[in-house]
Order: sequence, then structure tokens, then C-alpha cells
Amino acid sequence: MSSPRILVVGGGPAGLSAAWDLAEAGANVVLVEEEGFLGGTPKKLHYSLIAPDLKPVQEVLDPLVRRVEQSGVEVMLNSEVASFKGSGDGFHVEVRRKGGSLESHVFDSVIAATGFAHWDPHKKYEYGYGVYPDVLDFKDFERMLSEDNLRRPSNGETPKRIAWLLCVGSRDKQVGKFYCCRMGCVVSIKQAMEVRQKHPEIDTYVYYMDIRTYGFWEDKVYWRSMEEFNVKFVRGRIGSINRGEDGRLVAMAEDTILQRPTEVPFDMLVLATGMEASRGTVEFAKLAGLELEEHGFIKPLQSDSLPVHTTVEGIFVAGTATGPKAIPDSVSEGSAAAMKALNFARRKAVAERQQTR
Amino acid sequence: MPIHEKNLVDKDRLLVKEEAKLDGLDVSGQWSTFIEQRILGDYSTDVLDAVASTPAGKTIVNCWQCGTCTAGCCMHTDFGLREFNPRYFIYLAQKGAEDELKKYAPVIWRCVTCNKCVERCPKGVRVEEVVHSIEGYMRSKGWMGDTPASRWDEAFVKNTLQTGVLDELALTRSYVSREKLAEFNNRFMLRMALKLVRTGRIRTGPLRHRVKGWEKVRDVAKEILEGGGEG
Ligand code: SF4
Ligand code: SF4
Ligand code: SF4
Repeated sequence: MSSPRILVVGGGPAGLSAAWDLAEAGANVVLVEEEGFLGGTPKKLHYSLIAPDLKPVQEVLDPLVRRVEQSGVEVMLNSEVASFKGSGDGFHVEVRRKGGSLESHVFDSVIAATGFAHWDPHKKYEYGYGVYPDVLDFKDFERMLSEDNLRRPSNGETPKRIAWLLCVGSRDKQVGKFYCCRMGCVVSIKQAMEVRQKHPEIDTYVYYMDIRTYGFWEDKVYWRSMEEFNVKFVRGRIGSINRGEDGRLVAMAEDTILQRPTEVPFDMLVLATGMEASRGTVEFAKLAGLELEEHGFIKPLQSDSLPVHTTVEGIFVAGTATGPKAIPDSVSEGSAAAMKALNFARRKAVAERQQTR
Repeated sequence: MPIHEKNLVDKDRLLVKEEAKLDGLDVSGQWSTFIEQRILGDYSTDVLDAVASTPAGKTIVNCWQCGTCTAGCCMHTDFGLREFNPRYFIYLAQKGAEDELKKYAPVIWRCVTCNKCVERCPKGVRVEEVVHSIEGYMRSKGWMGDTPASRWDEAFVKNTLQTGVLDELALTRSYVSREKLAEFNNRFMLRMALKLVRTGRIRTGPLRHRVKGWEKVRDVAKEILEGGGEG
């Protein structure tokens, strides 16, 4: 019996994990990645430390990448799926390399690990993203932290006071995002801790509606941020950001515990921008005929008991393509999808052999 | 300018100038009424830093405002003193809302040290100690003078420093006479004292307990107390 041929689309944590497991199990794996490197969004956007252990992102991703590179997976960088057709004998896929050349492949099963994108905070105009240079989003601030270059973009000075606003582009009917991003709380609090660790003189405030640091993030991140790093929390969602006379930002919010309107000046504001399906996820779903669920992510066949099956037989899904998820969850789902994709391919091979007999 | 429906505004935010003249025109009284704004213009770490730096107050940073302490606080619930809210005192201190905190000078000393709050707080805040530390900050700012509770504490420390062991009878006597507590009249005191002495539950005067070598310990204790080791 020849080895099953399996396609993995996307080289982030979920795709890397799936590709490695499949290669270990003896499959022929092709990994298609649109960027020129492996590691996905955490790598692309230069994430800094990863919660809960506050490990630098490369320590988390590099072993995943190395394993895939050493396991015989055929990695196609700067490439994307150009056409996709399922028929009796498998999935006929054309992959286009940047620059033009098309390659045709046939696969027995497919894993979509096409990931997420951060929500674009320009759409929440009242926070002044893109207007006030000191209003940043997650990707801007993670990059700033990873480059150890904490300065106000407006004047190059080190900030004295930084605020975070949670749930930007999440849990907000005004922008059509009804779900929780699952990451915003822990990432914001982690960032505040990172700031306080390096610059104890900077005062940090997190504006929240709820703090959703589920599981072990509770004590390892949330509690620690208060108890060891004196990160402060304000219950209330900022209504708008104004510019103060001295060029600082002024956060207009209700302090719901004081029951008072507040206008507190800050040197920088970080918006905890939510997660939505990436362009790649939406485009691949369209090509492959996968159904999307109501929030715009790929719909699992059964969200409870078949979370890595899609609505198309033989195509599986892992990671943030089905909704907001942390890196360890994406890695686990990659392994789960690998198992399902391999089983599907083997069953198909057995069925074919019985037919030809 | 005259302001209608003043009843909708907190009294302490209405500013009226009894006498005011503008270009020779009399604009006194309701013609020069102002409303102080409710907007809080800044947070400050002054109170928090001060409280967190005392041994009694250092767990203030743990508080996440769940209200478990206030829910069981006998002053707040059983006694029904609405204004005595340890959770809220902590928040005002955390955010440096001094104007608001000041308003609680008449009640913040009312804690009876039952320690229910400390037993129940899910975040390990030593609530009772923290509240006392906040009170200490308020006193240091001159927002409140001594109170029956602080005078009790003072008498308690003075008494204990003598031999290292508390003489309850002497303490009660000195405190009662100083505060002129009518309920504790001579007859009542005498009867209680006799009972306590007879049952051996209290030792006073020459019978009082002593700690061996207390003089040396006392010096250290005094030094700590004078060094502002509040609590
Ligand atoms: S994880 Fe936190 S920031 Fe993100 S939507 Fe949920 S509550 Fe808001
Ligand atoms: S119980 Fe503890 S955490 Fe909760 S409000 Fe009181 S002091 Fe704060
Ligand atoms: S120790 Fe004081 S603050 Fe705590 S519950 Fe008792 S009376 Fe309330």
C-alpha cells in the first residue's frame, strides 16, 4: 500500500503540528504556506512573550518548525492553493508559487490550518486608531515589546502611564462581533506585566468589562499581574479617546465602581484587538466548498464531538480557522486533525483496493 | 447663574458665593451658584503606594473588588452602617480618589476587628489590617483626629508595654474613665472585676503576669512602633 498523500494548508502552530504528526506516521505531506517562512501569525507579527510561562515566541515556535523541516514534509513557501476539486479518486489541487508557476497534486485528504487575523481597529473610530499615533493595537505593541523599544510614537519618549482597553472588535454589536476573542485579556495583562517587569516606573491600567483569563491563566497571569506587578484594573469600557492639551491621550470612561465619569490622561493606549477569520481561511473555505459558521469561521461538522471535521468529507480543520484559540490548543487540534486525515486516507485506500480486486 | 432643580445635585457639589459683585452689580446668592463637576480627572498612586508600603497594608494590591469582605462585615451588615464598606475603602485607596476617601473619615475607624473579612477574602487580602492602614494614611493627612478606637489602641499598647502581658482590668479602667462611658459605672465595673478575679480569669495589680526579661524586648518593640510599623 503506497503512503497516503495529505495536504496541509497553513504553516502556523496548528499546521506545523499536523504536518509533523502526519510525517511521523509515514504519510506524504505537502505543507502550503503563503508567507516566505513557517510559524504563522505569531511569527509574522513578531509576538513577544507567550502566556502563561512568558516564554519568548521563538522558544515556542522554533522547535515546531525544526521538527517539520527535519521530518521530510514537502514545504512550499510563498505558495497558495489556486484551484481545488474533490472527486472520487481524491482532491485535485493546483498550488501557485508566488511568481506564477502552477503545480498540480492529488491528495487523499486535506487539513485546513488557515488561521485568523486581528480585527482592524480603524473601524472603531472613537478610539482614534490611525489618528492619534499613541493609540496602538496588539500587533503594534507586541512588536514594540519584542524589539524592546517602548516609546511613544508621537514624540519618542518613554511613556509614564499606559492603558489597555479590552474587547476591541469583540463582544460588540456595533461592529457585528458577538463573540469573545479568548486571548485579549491574557495578552493585555501579559503585556502589562512585561512592561512592569522591564520598567517598574511605568504605571499600567487595564479597562475591562470582564476578565476572562480562563484555566491556569487566572493565577499565573491575572493574579500575578496584580500581586507581583501592581497592574491596576478599572471596570468600565472606554467610550472614546480624546487628545489632551499636553498631547497626551485622555480616556473617557465610567469607573463603574466609583460610579463616576472619568477623564484620565495616558501616554499610550493599547487596544486588545479581537480575532476574526483570516482572508486565507475565508478564501480556502470558498474554494473547497466548506461551510462557514455564523461568526465567519469554518464550521466544524459537530462543534462538540467532531470539532476537526468540516462539512466536506475528507477535509479537516485545525487551529484558529474555526474560532479564537491559544497556541497550545491549536497544536493539539493539529494533532487531532492529523489523526482524522490519516484515518480517512487509509479507509479510502482500503475501499479502493477492495473495488479493484 | 441661578440653578433650578438643585435637589438633583449632591449638596457638597453646589458652590454658592454669599457675596459677589460683578462690575458693580450684585450677583450674590443664587446668582453666583456653581456646580462642581463629578468627572474624575485623574487616578493617582499616592494612597496605594503609601498603604502598600506598610506591613499591614501590603496585600491591598491583591483586591479585585469582589465584595466578599463587605458581605460579611458585621459593621456593614449587622450593625447596618452602610458607609462602612471595606471593599470600597480599598478601591478608593487603590485609585487614589482622595476627595471621596476623605468623606469616610467619620466612619472608617468603626472596624471591630472580627476578622471575618480576612477569613473569607478569596484573594488573601488582610482586609482588616489594610483598612487600618488606610485609616492610618487618612490620619497622617490630617483628615481625622484620634477616635475612640485609636485611643483604645493607644491605651492597649501602653498597657501591654509595661510587662509584656495585658492587664485587662487596668486597661478597661483607664479607658472607661478617659472616655467617660456611662454604661460602665463604678458598680458595674466592680461587680465584673470581682467575678473575674475570683474565677482567676483576670490578674491585675501585683498579681499581674509578666514576661521574663521584658525590658529588653520592650525597647525593640518601642523602636518598631515608633518607626511607623503601623499594625
Ligand atoms: S478575551 Fe477578554 S478581551 Fe477578548 S473579548 Fe473576551 S473578555 Fe474581551
Ligand atoms: S473579599 Fe478580598 S478581594 Fe474581595 S473585595 Fe474584599 S478585600 Fe477585595
Ligand atoms: S474585621 Fe472589621 S472590616 Fe473586617 S469584617 Fe470585621 S468589622 Fe468588618
